[in-house]
Amino acid sequence: MIKVLEKYKKRIDIPLLAITFFIIFMGLVTLSGSNLDTSNIIINQVINIFVGLIIFTILIFTNPRILFSYAPILFLITIFLLILVHFFGVESNGAKRWLAFGVFNLQPSELMKITLPLMIAWLYQQYQNKISLRLHFTAIFLICIPVYLVLLQPDLGTSIMIALSGFLIIFLAGISWRLIISSMIVAILSSPLIWINLHTYQKNRIINMLDPFVDPLGTGYHTIQSMIAIGSGGGFGKGWGEGSQTNLNFLPEANTDFIFAVYSEEFGFFGVLIIFALFLLLIFRIFILANNMQSTFSKLLTVSLGVSIFSAIFVNIAMISGLVPIVGLPLPFMSYGGTSMVVSLASIGIIMSLNNHKTLIAN
Amino acid sequence: MDNYRFKYFFKKRIQILFVFLIILLLIPLLKIFYLQIIQFDRFTALSKNNSIKIIPIPPKRGVILDRNNIILADNKLVHSLEIDRASFSALPEIQLRLKNKLNIDIDTDIANKKISYLYENTVPISFNLSDKEIASFVAHQYLFPKLSIKQRFIRDYPQGKSSAHLIGFINRINDKDINSLEKENLTNRYLGSTHIGKSGTEKFYENLIHGSPGFKEIEVDAKQNVIRTLQEKKSIPGKAINLTIDYRLQKIAEKAFGEKKGALVAINPKNSEVLAYVSQPTFNPALFTNGISHEAWSNLNDKDSRAMLDRVVAGLYPPGSTLKPFVALAALKNNIRKPPFSIFDIGYFKMPRSSKVFRDWKRGGHGTVDMIKAIAVSCDTFFYGLGLELGIPKLNKVLDDFNFGKKTDIDIDGEKSGLIANKAWKKKKLNESWYAGETAITAIGQGFTLVTPLQLANATAKLANPSLSIKPHLLLSIDGIKQDKQEVKEKKQSYSDENLKWVKTGMVNVTKEGGTAAFLGRKSNYQMASKTGTAQLFGLKIDEEYNEDILPDKLKDHALFITYAPAINPEIVIAVIVENGGHGGSVAGPIAKKVLDAYLVNKKL
Repeated sequence: MIKVLEKYKKRIDIPLLAITFFIIFMGLVTLSGSNLDTSNIIINQVINIFVGLIIFTILIFTNPRILFSYAPILFLITIFLLILVHFFGVESNGAKRWLAFGVFNLQPSELMKITLPLMIAWLYQQYQNKISLRLHFTAIFLICIPVYLVLLQPDLGTSIMIALSGFLIIFLAGISWRLIISSMIVAILSSPLIWINLHTYQKNRIINMLDPFVDPLGTGYHTIQSMIAIGSGGGFGKGWGEGSQTNLNFLPEANTDFIFAVYSEEFGFFGVLIIFALFLLLIFRIFILANNMQSTFSKLLTVSLGVSIFSAIFVNIAMISGLVPIVGLPLPFMSYGGTSMVVSLASIGIIMSLNNHKTLIAN
Repeated sequence: MDNYRFKYFFKKRIQILFVFLIILLLIPLLKIFYLQIIQFDRFTALSKNNSIKIIPIPPKRGVILDRNNIILADNKLVHSLEIDRASFSALPEIQLRLKNKLNIDIDTDIANKKISYLYENTVPISFNLSDKEIASFVAHQYLFPKLSIKQRFIRDYPQGKSSAHLIGFINRINDKDINSLEKENLTNRYLGSTHIGKSGTEKFYENLIHGSPGFKEIEVDAKQNVIRTLQEKKSIPGKAINLTIDYRLQKIAEKAFGEKKGALVAINPKNSEVLAYVSQPTFNPALFTNGISHEAWSNLNDKDSRAMLDRVVAGLYPPGSTLKPFVALAALKNNIRKPPFSIFDIGYFKMPRSSKVFRDWKRGGHGTVDMIKAIAVSCDTFFYGLGLELGIPKLNKVLDDFNFGKKTDIDIDGEKSGLIANKAWKKKKLNESWYAGETAITAIGQGFTLVTPLQLANATAKLANPSLSIKPHLLLSIDGIKQDKQEVKEKKQSYSDENLKWVKTGMVNVTKEGGTAAFLGRKSNYQMASKTGTAQLFGLKIDEEYNEDILPDKLKDHALFITYAPAINPEIVIAVIVENGGHGGSVAGPIAKKVLDAYLVNKKL
């Protein structure tokens, strides 16, 4: 038993795990503070964490070489699942995002957040010595397929996340600044085209981002209630379980996407600073690990997974503080929900696995 | 790119990336700083606005009592059937099932109510459930999970239709009420209130009996459900008021009226307290409390019965012969027809320099008539001549002294001023000149003169007690504390004791043998001073005879009677009008007599 634990201990990065657990713990504290029939939610969330930790454990004992060799197949499977979603997906709120598998619903777009970086990192590892413009374009093409499929669902938020995680690898793999800047210009020029193709509800969200108080009971309601929750928290918050915005149901989706608003209302700016510090530490630790890894694949994948987590954190917080439109994105490690928790923990597991086998797939 | 070069390149790129991420994360941090620290006050206010509502608690309305604490208007605890606010949209379906299963009707006008009961979790849909209805609802409650039974106070009038005009009624506050409340800057006092006094005492003393609302600070959730009460300030209930009314007299008078239409006012001549205030027919004030049906309303406003009309202050009648004592006093004051002056009445009066003839009510006349007898037998002939000699200006001067033709300013709404006509008025109103004949008939209370029963009673009280300088009033005490009487401001007019004695003797003789109401005096163990009156409703042509029996009821004369008793040191004054009652002495007199008996003889009735 002790031997197993010893083995376990060797395979994990204590600082990264500690930070992760601390953030998860804060999420549980926040969830249990709300008095909206929490008993089930807490139990379910603990189960989610447990499932996530099993996957995490499996992954840290997995040789990343397996991941590496299966990367293209995993990518193709996820693409296949995304296509399945398009035909057999469960529809809710006018979007098809889930595949129903009896006991659980799978959201393939969440899976893509891991398998795409895996694929792109594989690509750059495989052609490490032949990095060229052509390779970059191949990578861009591979990114565009899942992004397009997720956009079809439609799920703007997740597709942007996926695109970012992919392009980030291209950036880290050495694409020249000239290319980065020119592609940015193309993106800006094409934005009116995107606007035309957006759904009405997506347009509304962008409009209220500019001024949520234009329609306080309609499209701006969520944003305003969230801003009220945060703002009324003040410096030190209303206290655990004392958030009136949360407990009186003014805050929508208080347990899932808007958990950070609950946290801000109850723990104030002081609490926000602590969480921000934890998030930053998390990324910093991941970057340190990536920097110390040997193989291109490991480095690229680790940073990409780290930035995926960071992006989700950033977009979620920007959303609840009224900086970006509401896109329906959970806060990693804190929001109630299985997929997000499992995917986030799996990401950490993969990073630790890569860290354990620094040299295994080094050249 | 070799591995070493890549590592160096990679390190540089993640450093750039990390700096970029820190900057990126600073943006929401700054936004949150702005929200939580800089805009804290604003968002705290918005958060409280969201969840904390201040709701007014309407005050309990003050009760209205008579002088002996008999309840005239009260608040009754009733069982109301209530629907959950959230299920309001299911009401039509529930209404149907209630009717079919339990035969319970719900009140219409529901849409208004939902607003009135904002921030209560249930809204009443039916008031005043009977015990049977409660029992059958409780037995079937499982069929109506959205409904419940609650207790609420509603305004109650335990005397039913009795004294309705005096008490008045309350009704839902409407736009007109809101406008006038705004004008008087009283809207704050009506926060949470649903009803307001609309007539009678309920209206006039609204400010006293309404009270002031309290406040409850409550926490509500996003669906406006009440979570808990944070703090509460109790409402200040309206004041209880005692009226000067003696309800016993009120009841006796109403009973004496029976089905007859008319009015009775009794006043204490020592202090002008109104002891009885009866207007018949009457209505049930409870009908109005929660909105009256169209049908009930049109019944009440039936042209013939006019139940809503408060005849005491707004019924305008020709005074008929009841005006004669005042006309007599005017003559005496101007040294006209002073006893022992007398005439010989042959049954009619011939206008000087004209062939026109005015008949006395008694065919063949009253023979030798002086001022005292003229009043006792109500000799028209005597007064025709008197009027002509006195003239309208001098007559009107005295009528004005007795407050005819203007409001008494009694403390109730809707008083009319009546009419004392003169040359100028007729010119202006009818564009006709004044005829001498009109002066003659004015002297017997016909013509244009119109009085309210209250004016008659008030004038009689002034006659009974010439030093009276208090205006008639209904308010006795507020929360048991006696109120100061308001003195009439006008200059006191003095009448010589001798003149008063002649008039009063005449009035005492009305109920003595030979007087117009002698039969009343026969059974009386106290002395009363009275005057009968019969007011013609349509002009009989010259020489046409009035035959009561063949006239339709609504064209019959009004019967009037004024009286005070005891004749010496009077304690009560009464004026009675019975519409289309015929002769004053025989119809109106007995009604007054019953009230007098009750007040003077059977004091402990």
